Amino acid sequence: MSHPLPLIRRAVGALMVTASFARPLLAQDLTPSTQPPAKDAAPERRGLIEEPAVIRRAVVIFDRRINFAEATAGPYTLYGKMIPGGGISGGLGYRRWYAHDRAFVDVSAQGSWRGYTTAQARFELPRLARSRLLVGAQARWQDFKQVDFFGEGPDSFLSNRSQYRIQSRVAGGYVTVRPTRTLAIDTQFGWLQPSILEPGGVFQRGFPDTRKVFTTDPVFALRGQPSFFHREISITSDTRDFPGHPTAGGVYRAAFAGYDDRGAEVFSFKRYEAEAARFVTLPRTGVVLAARGWLVASDAAEGQTVPFYFQPSLGGANNLRGFTDYRFHDRNLLLLNAEARVPMMTHVDAAAFVDFGNVSPHLGEVDLRKHSYGAGLRLHSRRQTFARVDAATGAEGWRLFVRVADPLDLSRLSRQTITAPFVP
Amino acid sequence: MTRTSAALAGVVAFTMASCVRVKEPAVRPTAALPSDRLWSDPGNLQSKDLFYGQWGVERRPNPKAVFRFVERKHAGVNPGMTVVDPQGREWSVKQIPAGALDVEAQVEVTLSRLLQAIGYFQPPVYFLPEFTLKDDWGTHTEVGGRFRLKDETLKEVGEWAWPENPFIGTRPYQGLLVLMMLFNSTDLKDSNNSIFAYRSGDRVEQWYVVRDLGSALGDTRRLGPFKSDPDAFEQQPFIIGVKRNHVQFAYSGYYEKYVRDRISPDDVVWATRLLGGLTDKQWRDAFRAGGYDQATTARFLRTLRKRIHDGEALSSRVRS
Repeated sequence: MSHPLPLIRRAVGALMVTASFARPLLAQDLTPSTQPPAKDAAPERRGLIEEPAVIRRAVVIFDRRINFAEATAGPYTLYGKMIPGGGISGGLGYRRWYAHDRAFVDVSAQGSWRGYTTAQARFELPRLARSRLLVGAQARWQDFKQVDFFGEGPDSFLSNRSQYRIQSRVAGGYVTVRPTRTLAIDTQFGWLQPSILEPGGVFQRGFPDTRKVFTTDPVFALRGQPSFFHREISITSDTRDFPGHPTAGGVYRAAFAGYDDRGAEVFSFKRYEAEAARFVTLPRTGVVLAARGWLVASDAAEGQTVPFYFQPSLGGANNLRGFTDYRFHDRNLLLLNAEARVPMMTHVDAAAFVDFGNVSPHLGEVDLRKHSYGAGLRLHSRRQTFARVDAATGAEGWRLFVRVADPLDLSRLSRQTITAPFVP
Repeated sequence: MTRTSAALAGVVAFTMASCVRVKEPAVRPTAALPSDRLWSDPGNLQSKDLFYGQWGVERRPNPKAVFRFVERKHAGVNPGMTVVDPQGREWSVKQIPAGALDVEAQVEVTLSRLLQAIGYFQPPVYFLPEFTLKDDWGTHTEVGGRFRLKDETLKEVGEWAWPENPFIGTRPYQGLLVLMMLFNSTDLKDSNNSIFAYRSGDRVEQWYVVRDLGSALGDTRRLGPFKSDPDAFEQQPFIIGVKRNHVQFAYSGYYEKYVRDRISPDDVVWATRLLGGLTDKQWRDAFRAGGYDQATTARFLRTLRKRIHDGEALSSRVRS
């Protein structure tokens, strides 16, 4: 009989080697098997300061264990892929390609510091019609236990901070047509069943239950939340060089989504989105300039309303960085970000950024009145930002945060669009 | 004692016992078949071609060919793919990753040439700095890397383990471990070793091959060792001493357990003399085959020559 410890070591080793953010590479076509490998094999630019070996070694470890594993078959680990507010997270998954990458299966589950849990299973046929057509299906379970809500509108009070727990089951399918390698027309459809519950999980921060603070909210007028039929169509052009650490190119996306309340018939609405992000590297200096704009508009017919958990929200480490996660909710959202990244070392950038944005009940009234600015450090390889430390300030004081992905890493481009709550 | 604490104590005791065993892995030879081969006498070393290698120019990938994409590589830490050339030959390509961090392809080809020249068996591998790929989206230029041919005479039939194989204790096996130390090979896991069935006419041989040689020519840290890095390679010594007729290596990698108190000065002298028999041109050809530029080659060669000299210097100890 073989000794068990080496076997355990090998299993753990395999997990480490195949560690991954399980992060899709390109908009609307999220099976890495159809993606070209990175094209830029030139050594990275040196920064202003000679990089100590310890930093390079850390980058080697991250890059080796986290990055390319996107295309690694077998077991993999998940880091930092929970929605904002969940705290440190991790999980395990397993994926495999069949028939020369023509079929793909992926299952994963993860948990977080504050007790958030998710699980998902996905099946895709990514290389139909010579990769022009992708068909897939996904089922997911999500339980986010301490999501913040401060009330609707741009003038909600910080002191009204409350929390709710939202559980949801999601099942759906998607079809992506790709006329060119960088252009994707994506349709998604699915069924979603959310439940709003008392905040739970571990390490609770003692904020009151949203149901008790916002008693008059239409969401709480119902005994339970209805199920939703969701459909979405979007067109995305993605020319970024490395989506996990873009230094050139851009991503441009327009989307329409409809949510049909299948029970109470009071929460049906439509959502329109337009988003653009552009990355430019200045010659000689290596400074990367990044800019992003994002507009989200909701539209509900007479007698219908947008439940707060589906309302666009603003605030947090990837958008209005001087404000806490989910700080503002309303039907419409406008956001602009600008960022300059100066290469300090080969794999460390210093960044300075400004964010402008706001939410509004009416599209015509949405403005950029709220703003924040700050600075931070980024640890990255050529193809992935592994960690960032940012300090940002706005009208509500300073915030310091550590994250494991690029700030303009557009979560909307992943196969998690049909999700609740709305995640900016 | 509660049931829980008893169980916990049991787990701790079991884990400690397991750790003790893992530190000193059992190394035992297995029964050898007449067709098993790890090494063969290379004969006249100076007649060897280290640019194209033993498999020759006729098997190399045509740099001007258009390769057809089959599938992405789904294992390991460097990107890659399987492609087919216009002659219908299938190639496993290990590419240079973006940013050229953690490059394995070049090391793999160079070390393959060196091992092959001194009698160790190797599959046909070549390096192309770039190549033309036709995939579902059209034809374009791709970053190159190591091309390994799936040759019809050479079929991979399994893997072999360093601590359990028919050659343990033989000079070529001991010498192969010495060479792994000399090259600072950090990834001596069993899955990087292959048994190939080589057919030549009616004769079939089982070749025991260190297939994945890419994690080398850097340092040997357990966490995040650098590969293909002349700075790191020249900073680390090769041999730190001899104790009770066992050579102590500076190698600090995870697989140091395979050589600890197992390698004699004789083994080191045998391996380094073999390698030292290569000419300067052959050395340069091996690095040219891996796509290294002259300056980088010169740096690696300086360190390798010093290591070979250090190994051969043990011969005085052998005599005494």
